[in-house]
Parts: sequence; C-alpha cells; structure tokens
Amino acid sequence: MNGLQLYLQSLLNIKHVNYGGYRYIKRWVSPTQKEITRRKRRLPPQSESKRSNFIDWNRNSEIYAFNTRLSEKFDTEKLNQAFTHKSYIVAELKKQQEMGIEEPKLDISHNEEYIEKGREITSEIVKKYLNRSLPRLPEVGIMALHDYLMSEQMLATASSHIGTKDIILTSEHPVSQQTLAQTFVALVGALVESINVDHASAFVRDFLIVGLANKDLTEIWCPTKPFELLNDVIDAERKMSIEARLIGQAGKNTILSVYHVGIYANKEYLGSGFGETIAEAKDVAAINILAQIYGLHHTSQPLRFNEELNVSA
Amino acid sequence: MSNKHLFQKFGFLRAPFGIGVGRYVCQLQRITIKFCKNHGCSLGIRSFLEHDLIDYAKQNPGVVVYVKPRRHRSPVLKAEYLNGETSWICIANFSRQDIIQWMELLKTQYHDGPALRLLKLWHTDFPSIQGPWTPFTFKNPPLNQIKFPDKKIGEALKFKPTATEELITLFEEQQEAEKFDQKIPVQKGVS
Repeated sequence: MNGLQLYLQSLLNIKHVNYGGYRYIKRWVSPTQKEITRRKRRLPPQSESKRSNFIDWNRNSEIYAFNTRLSEKFDTEKLNQAFTHKSYIVAELKKQQEMGIEEPKLDISHNEEYIEKGREITSEIVKKYLNRSLPRLPEVGIMALHDYLMSEQMLATASSHIGTKDIILTSEHPVSQQTLAQTFVALVGALVESINVDHASAFVRDFLIVGLANKDLTEIWCPTKPFELLNDVIDAERKMSIEARLIGQAGKNTILSVYHVGIYANKEYLGSGFGETIAEAKDVAAINILAQIYGLHHTSQPLRFNEELNVSA
Repeated sequence: MSNKHLFQKFGFLRAPFGIGVGRYVCQLQRITIKFCKNHGCSLGIRSFLEHDLIDYAKQNPGVVVYVKPRRHRSPVLKAEYLNGETSWICIANFSRQDIIQWMELLKTQYHDGPALRLLKLWHTDFPSIQGPWTPFTFKNPPLNQIKFPDKKIGEALKFKPTATEELITLFEEQQEAEKFDQKIPVQKGVS
C-alpha cells in the first residue's frame, strides 16, 4: 500500500516544467558534417587568405605599429612608398581601366628607386661591418659572407621576421621571396632618406647581420686550397714555410682508416686535423689553423653585434 | 591513454631569426579581440575593453589591437606573431583580471608554447665542443713514447691464474709453512 502511495506521489509531482529542457537527438548533425568534410576534401587546395582583406585591418595603424615596433623613425610617407611595389600600381591601373575609367590615375609612387639605392647601401654596410669585425679575413672570405647575407633567402627571412609580409602592396599573393627581399633593401633605402646612413647601418646590423649569430662561419666560407693559403699566410707573417707531419694513424688500408696530421712551422706546433686519407687530414688541419687565425673557428670569440659603424665618413 | 600528441605540432625549441641579439622587438604584431556586446560570457572582456584596453594599447604601440564585436558567439583572443605563428584563446566567462594576465602572456611569447610538442628539452647548433671522436681522442699520453711491438703491452690479458701458477703458489705456501714449523722449536729453545 505504501509503495503504491509513493508511486502515485511521484507521478503527481511530474510537471510540465520537467520536460522543458528535453532535446531530441539531432540525427542530422553527424551526416551533414561528414558531407561537408567530404566536399572540402574533394576541393583543390585553397590559397591562403590575404590578411589585408579581413574586416579587422587598418593599414595606417599597421604602418604606425611597424615603425614603433622596430623603434625606428621612418618617415611615414617614405615608409608607405617602400612597401609599394611597381606590380601593385600596374595592377591597380589595369583594374581601373577594366572598370571603364578612360584615364586611369593612381597618385602613389613605387619603391624601384629605394630598392636600387638600398641594395647598394646595404651591401656597403655589410662589407664594412664584416671588415671591421673580422679584420684578418681576406677579401674572398668577406665577399663570401657578404653574398650569403645578401642572398635572396637571407634577405627574405630578415624581412619577414620584422613583419613586412602582410603590409607589402604587391599584385602577387602569397608574397614571393624575391618581393620580401626587395622590400628589406627598400626599407634600408627609405631609412637613409628619412634619417641618415649611419642610422640605416644600425638597422642593417640589428636585422640582417645578426643572421650570422648562430652560424658555423666555416660552413659559409672555406678556402679551396687551404694548405697553400696557410703556407702563404705563414710565409708573409713569419718568413717561414710550414710542414705537415703524421702524428698518428689507425686502420690503414681499411674503410675505417684515420690519419692525424699536425702542421708545424720551424718545429713549432700550429694545429692538427683528422681525415680518412693523409691529403684530407692535411687540408682539415690547414683549415682549422686558418679558421683560428681569421676568427671563424667555433672556439674563436663570437662576432659582435653592438658596434657602431660610421659609414658616411 | 590519449594519443592527442600524435597530431600535435612537434619540433625543437628554436628562437626566431635574430631574436635577442640585436635590439628588442616585441614579437606580437597584432591581436584581435572578438566578443559579443550583450552575451553574459563576454562580461569580463567587456569590462577589460572599458577599463584597460586604452592603457594596453598605449603601453604597446608596436601591437595593433583590433576589436571585433559579433553577436552571440564566445569571446576570443587571436594573436599573430612576427614569425607567422598564431595563438588563439577562448575567453568565455573569464574575469577581467584573467584577461589582463592572458593579454600579458600573449604579448611576451613568440608562439603558442603548449601547442608544440618538444622532441628534446635542449637544442644546440654545435652538438660537440671537442669535435668528432677519433681513435686518438682520450689516448693515454704515455702510449706516445712506446715503440711497438712491446712485450708488456702485447701480452694476452689474464683474468684467472693458470694451473701452473696455482701449483707454484701452493708449493710456495707449503715451503713457507715448513719454514715456520722449523722456526718455532728454535724460538721455544730461546725462551
């Protein structure tokens, strides 16, 4: 009897409110999502969306932020010009023509001039800086490091890491490496026009030359005939000739052969190197000694990135 | 156990190009705050916008701040970094104080840290300071003076005494004992 009462009570307590939150199982969700995914997979690879086409994009703020982020004092007009590539203007004029405007006109200037000027100045700054921080390195080595820094890839990396990628005005999308590299040198050109060459040299040092900071410099430049070069260097400095001597060898006539060759000048030990053949070991030894002399060795004092350069003088 | 980490981005801990060597550059380039103007879960971000956003923008002139209202969607912070990485945080029901701290975090990092599975806890461009190993590395210096073939070094290694050696030691021990026995009566005689 009690059981029946309880049952009736609970039945009476059920109100309409208790069913208010009831939701049926949405059986259409999963098939719809699956179909959308299937269609997405069937599509050809979609191009990356252009950041400047988003609603939340304000070019003026971007330019202002670019300037303050790098703690630089670019002239805003010149900065805008440095970011504008010729292809952008050509594309815009073409667009106007297609719209039916008879005399298409766009009142902005492109950065061709800055690119040319900036490339020359950047190259000069890099050469001077390297000459100053690696005073004993011969011209060939300086030029090799210079070419490495001025290569398109290096300039593009430097350029994209200061945030130019989205601000550049160009007809191509996504922005190519070449355009990124050109923008970097154009920025240097614009900075020279805005302030002066010395200030631009600090810019190049802080954003381009720092690329050498964690690199093995002997990988970038290595003399082709190291033993002959070392002989010339020692001959010029101490009027002596060098001789290579076998210090140790192991596993002769096997595939695991090792030779340890030391180089001496007038019985004074200069350095040593290892190799699978005697000739190779001799070259490695000479390269080791040359790298130590030139300051390229990984045990040498690392390159300094805080030196002020006086380019204009 | 979850296998979430299998699909996670992985790599070594690397600094972006030239960071920390030249001048200081804030790695956060722009941040978009998306929120709803009347939904409850955007309460914290609305009070952040009212009280702290202007100060944040003033203190960080190098960061472009976009505010994007949208109806009845959860509030979101999206940060874009100089190295092309983005970081996305859902801030539904976050308090104003929380949002101040998350904004600070987004400003001071250069990528979404926890989203990267580290392959190793360290990375170096020069894995070996002393150079590649050769048979001459850690060679004992006295070995330089020796002229080969050398009888002492060329000997076979012995780990156990041979049977002959054991016999010899037994014989020696026996002789010692005999000597000892002979000595004792003499000592007795003295005392």
